[in-house]
Amino acid sequence: MLRLPKFNLVSPKSIDEVVQALADSKGRGRILAGGTDLLPNLKHEFIEADIVVSLGEVDELRGIEVSADGGLSIGPLTSLADIASNEHVLRIAPALAQAAGTVAGPQHRIMGTIGGNVMLDTRCQWINQSHFWRSSLGFCLKKDGTACHVVEGGSRCVAAASNDTAAALASLGASLDFQNAPTEHGDGKRTLEFEALFKADGAWNKKVTPTELLTRIHIPATPRGHRGGYVKLRLRGSIDFPLLGVASRLDLDEAGKIEHADLVVIALQARPTRVRKAAKLLIGTTPGQANYDTAVAQVMDAAYKQCTPLPNIPGDHEWRQEMVPVYVKRALAAALG
Amino acid sequence: MSSLIALELMINGDRMRVSAEAHWTLLELLRYEIGLTGSKQGCDKGDCGACTVLVDGKPQLSCLILAGTAPGKQIQTIEGLQPAHRKAGGTGLDPVQDAFDRCGALQCGFCQSGMMLSARALLNENPTPDRAEIREALSGNLCRCTGYTQIVEAVELAVAESVGAEPKTPSWAKDKPWTESLSSKKGGGDQ
Amino acid sequence: MGARDQHGSGAPWGDDFRAVGKSLRKIEGLSKATGEAVYADDIVLPGMLHAKTLRSPHAHARIVSIDASKALALEGVHAVITGADLPTKYGVIPWTKDENALAVDKVRFIGDEVAAVAAVDEDTANAAVRLIEVEYEELYSYFEPEESLERHEPAIHEKNKHGNVSKHVELDFGDVDAAFASADVVLEDDFVFHGSTHAAIEPHCAVARTSADGLVTLWSSTQITHYVQREVSRVLGIPQSRLRVIQPVLGGAFGGKSDPFSLEFVVSKLALITGRPVKMLWTREEVFYAHRGRHPMNLRYKTGVTKDGQITGVDAKILIDGGSYSSFGLVTTYYSGQLLTGPYDFPSYRFNSTRVFTNKPPCGPKRGHGSVQPRFAFEIQLDELAEAIDMDPIELRRKNDIGESTKTVNGQRVTSNGFGRCLDEVERASEWKSRRGKLPMGAGLGVAGSMYISGTNYPIYPNDMPQAGIQLKVDRSGLVTAFTGGNDIGQGSSSVVRTILCEELGLDPLDVRVVAADTDLCPVDLGAYSSRVTFMVGNATIDACRKLRKLIVEAVAAKWEIDAKRVYLGTGEVFDTDERETKITTREAFEIAEAFHDTLGSTGAYNTPTLGGDYRGGSIGASPAYSFTAHVVEVDVDTETGMIDLKNVWVAHDCGRALNPMLVAGQMEGSAYMGIVEAVFENHRVNRFGLHSGPSLLDYPLATSVDTPELHALIVESIDPEGPYGGKEAGEGPLHPALPALSNAIFDAVGIRLRELPFTPGRVLAALREKAAADSQTGGTSC
Ligand SMILES: Cc1cc2nc3c(=O)[nH]c(=O)nc-3n(C[C@H](O)[C@H](O)[C@H](O)COP(=O)(O)OP(=O)(O)OC[C@H]3O[C@@H](n4cnc5c(N)ncnc54)[C@H](O)[C@@H]3O)c2cc1C
Ligand code: SF4
Ligand code: FES
Ligand code: FES
Repeated sequence: MLRLPKFNLVSPKSIDEVVQALADSKGRGRILAGGTDLLPNLKHEFIEADIVVSLGEVDELRGIEVSADGGLSIGPLTSLADIASNEHVLRIAPALAQAAGTVAGPQHRIMGTIGGNVMLDTRCQWINQSHFWRSSLGFCLKKDGTACHVVEGGSRCVAAASNDTAAALASLGASLDFQNAPTEHGDGKRTLEFEALFKADGAWNKKVTPTELLTRIHIPATPRGHRGGYVKLRLRGSIDFPLLGVASRLDLDEAGKIEHADLVVIALQARPTRVRKAAKLLIGTTPGQANYDTAVAQVMDAAYKQCTPLPNIPGDHEWRQEMVPVYVKRALAAALG
Repeated sequence: MSSLIALELMINGDRMRVSAEAHWTLLELLRYEIGLTGSKQGCDKGDCGACTVLVDGKPQLSCLILAGTAPGKQIQTIEGLQPAHRKAGGTGLDPVQDAFDRCGALQCGFCQSGMMLSARALLNENPTPDRAEIREALSGNLCRCTGYTQIVEAVELAVAESVGAEPKTPSWAKDKPWTESLSSKKGGGDQ
Repeated sequence: MGARDQHGSGAPWGDDFRAVGKSLRKIEGLSKATGEAVYADDIVLPGMLHAKTLRSPHAHARIVSIDASKALALEGVHAVITGADLPTKYGVIPWTKDENALAVDKVRFIGDEVAAVAAVDEDTANAAVRLIEVEYEELYSYFEPEESLERHEPAIHEKNKHGNVSKHVELDFGDVDAAFASADVVLEDDFVFHGSTHAAIEPHCAVARTSADGLVTLWSSTQITHYVQREVSRVLGIPQSRLRVIQPVLGGAFGGKSDPFSLEFVVSKLALITGRPVKMLWTREEVFYAHRGRHPMNLRYKTGVTKDGQITGVDAKILIDGGSYSSFGLVTTYYSGQLLTGPYDFPSYRFNSTRVFTNKPPCGPKRGHGSVQPRFAFEIQLDELAEAIDMDPIELRRKNDIGESTKTVNGQRVTSNGFGRCLDEVERASEWKSRRGKLPMGAGLGVAGSMYISGTNYPIYPNDMPQAGIQLKVDRSGLVTAFTGGNDIGQGSSSVVRTILCEELGLDPLDVRVVAADTDLCPVDLGAYSSRVTFMVGNATIDACRKLRKLIVEAVAAKWEIDAKRVYLGTGEVFDTDERETKITTREAFEIAEAFHDTLGSTGAYNTPTLGGDYRGGSIGASPAYSFTAHVVEVDVDTETGMIDLKNVWVAHDCGRALNPMLVAGQMEGSAYMGIVEAVFENHRVNRFGLHSGPSLLDYPLATSVDTPELHALIVESIDPEGPYGGKEAGEGPLHPALPALSNAIFDAVGIRLRELPFTPGRVLAALREKAAADSQTGGTSC
């Protein structure tokens, strides 16, 4: 068997106990939700833990609710399968439901949580391998090494954010509640805008530490004319991580004109990538009309120029770049249904 | 640094007291400590589905579950399928197991404990899935032997017989090629 | 010799078969359905130790020193061994023994085995492995076969006489140059076949136990118990008679468990040293290093046809990337040329095949050993020739059908042949005539054909003993137990034995047991490879049954005082054909026979007749019977992404008589699946560092149920004069046409010829662009 390294396990029952256990771990703790990312990474030994804190018994971290403003409040321990099929998510945040429904395979979506997906570690063909394999290669910046095998001479890890739901959550303007153990300086709580969570360093692409607990995901209400879509490039129709993922958002006014537009691409680099010109080009056009088609062509072009996949994850990166405009187009079509 | 933990587990309907080290997976516990070796290991990191067990009725990968997080959950392994069927008043095997055997789906069989459990979970949730739904539900279980055809046919046979419909004849057969069923229609399969 | 007896292809008791031809359950099916079946890693013995391997991090290096003292000092470690403990070289082919269980002096690829530890549990063994200190001196590494052809220093195998060339074969049949001169169209092209691996879902595992008096028992997930016994006993220096090798239920093999592997030697040695049972289970990553998968090949084919579609000659030049060891490479090299000479009549043919060593995981036999790659190239070339002479590709294949009772250009005897009917079947079922060339842009149909062996008369090591042996035990309980060395690897060989016993002796399936692949209990059989099992074990079983039946009939006839010809025992009842009321049960007949003859039993055997051309290598690939296959593949190509949607595969296969159609169909579907998805998803390769590009089932993606096309098995039965009831094979043949038929379908769909595998979307897209550019230059749209 591919064994896990040794660690201790605790299974607290409340958020308070979790954050205390994490604080006690002195940075050597890891949070376990569904385990579908953490356990393979521990087995591959590029993540280490003295203590694993299981969230499984913390019921307050579960659930999907419609919040007072008509948005969504989602517990991070909610399974991806539940997110994908939940009627509120399908109505208020369709891109999120679609993204959750394309993660991995059926069992992973039952086990895997939305919190674990948000907090998913970055991926790279040179890191998601066994200790033996990496030792033969020579360790890299992400763990124990000084070189990068993707960008020769690079000084920063460019492993790819590969969480399908991140693109959708970014397009939906989500925000995230985190909690640390309270100290004399404060209650340990903070809220981050979704995109403020990420930084451009694949070694650890988040601005929170690995021992900071995500306690809630908020999605603001979406207007009646909201349309959202998510499309994913992968070789197989199941199990595979994204080679590219594109979330789209189009909010239409009553006349069908686009009032708000957004496109976010995942699996390029360490953070989700917003297609910068999308909003500017699409807002004011009307799907079904020529101005929209022209804008889509321009957005495709802009996305192609902006998004340059690296040979970080497996797969032909030049082909992945060519797929950017195709998947931008398909994501927009998915939103419009 | 790894603690031995005492666990009380519900496995195939039986309460069991076992101990495990914190870093053991449920798969390791089932196979090597409890001796339920029907759950298989093909990759040990979530890529193949051979280790699929039902946790609270849903297919999950036991190679990615820490044994220490299993208490409080109903765990069903392949060994529990026939007893559950009998307990629910059925005779013979669970109709899924029987159909897999009658359709030739059990080639090397290594993927099949996981496969049959995924199929069982599907039928519990959706007793009359169509072919696309069957393929989707089984898409986290890799099989290297069959090309999936006889597996899909087996699930379709189990479905057809459970609703008394005419099963589809495989491309290679002139009429119904299957041996007789060993399962009664009643039982765990029809819950 | 009894083994060569012909038993005819009819039913043993008159016109109708009772068990043969029925889709009976598999003998071990229910034990797999309930999870009871015991696979190698399910074996747990009291006091068992766990072993782990230290592997080379270098592709090519000399071992300067190994220091295991720290590992040995770790609590819970019972033994550490290195190459010095197992210095004898082994290899499945007697002429090319170039492997060591653990490296001696040098390592030849990243992942090569260097040392092994036995410890109280896996964690301790893993920790100990990391404490072993090895000093290496790195050597120049070879990753490109072209380079190994040119450069011989440093040699990967110093003792090899031909530098880094592992095997070279050149054979010539007829005047190929004249044939090209007489052809109306001659095409010549290069083709590239990538590497692929078996990826059976069960990782390799072995367990060994010794007794105080020195007997060794080895359970191993092998598909060839006999060769494991030969090689392990030789390397360990213990007589074969004292090494018992048992194959537990096997979780898939496909050729990947044919070689003797390091772990089998290592657990046996460690058990001998420690006196305790020892298990080694490889991780998935280690299985990828052990590999023995399909050889990458660069192939150049040149074929001539006349205007009316007659093939005149074929010329092939093939460079084979063997990886770091010989394995079955000698046979692979021959097969790459020898197995192409059907189902089409080649008036002239020559091939020139060279296998070289590289510092990569060793290649070996994968389903369709050595012949899938040439078939890929040749069947695409045939399609191009059909296009060049404006002939329907099925028609071209029909025209060149070699037919039955004939000989191939390289001297292989062809007995039965149902290839024409295979073509008819796929043509009909796919609605070829109304759909090919007429589907919308992006959708297409393609065809290909093939021929494959049902075992060969080359027994790996030269000997005159039977290739298959079986023993029957019968007693008054009514039970018949068959002991066969044949390896059931999931394909159903033990079920075939049972079916034959039921047919011959009128038994109920539940009154038959089959004990297989246990060298202490079963007569020798050469194992599950080359699609030999149904044919050879089947014939041996019939042989044993007929001898037994003679004994029983004789006893009953004596008791009833009638002529033995009047005794019938085909239905579970034994009766006098002249006076039907005189009847007893089979069990009672066994009692009578046991009383008459004493304890009952019989043996049966099979050996091939003398086959093959009268030249060096002429017997390699010479089979007592050939199977035939045709595929039509339907695809949808997404011209924006280059992704290929596999829609349908119609697989028509001539398996001889289908002894159990359900099992035959399962082999056909499994083969077609394995072939077509290896073209699209799989690529077994090393990266620029010589490191396996991704030794996991995530990075080496196996198609899931949603990626696999609808597979339509269409069984064609040509009754073979020498097969068991006319049966041949279904385990490997049906794979071959999948890859070229796919390429041909893509051509029909979007007008591009893909001659290089794998068909990645990037490659498809590039070809589409190239075609668009060419079309815009010529103003044509040839699709
Ligand atoms: C074969 C395979 C295929 C996969 N394919 C995909 C895919 O296609 N797309 C995809 O997006 N993912 C994929 N995954 C990864 C994974 O299944 C999902 O991302 C899943 O959502 C992770 O959730 P989890 O609950 O299992 O996370 P865990 O493994 O439990 O946790 C993941 C990370 O998040 C941290 N974490 C978890 N919960 C919290 C919390 N509440 N607060 C703070 N930190 C937390 C953990 O410490 C860990 O670092 C795949 C995994 C496998 C094994
Ligand atoms: S991007 Fe570079 S540093 Fe980061 S994981 Fe990959 S190889 Fe290592
Ligand atoms: S063994 Fe668990 S998914 Fe492969
Ligand atoms: S039956 Fe062998 S892997 Fe599925």
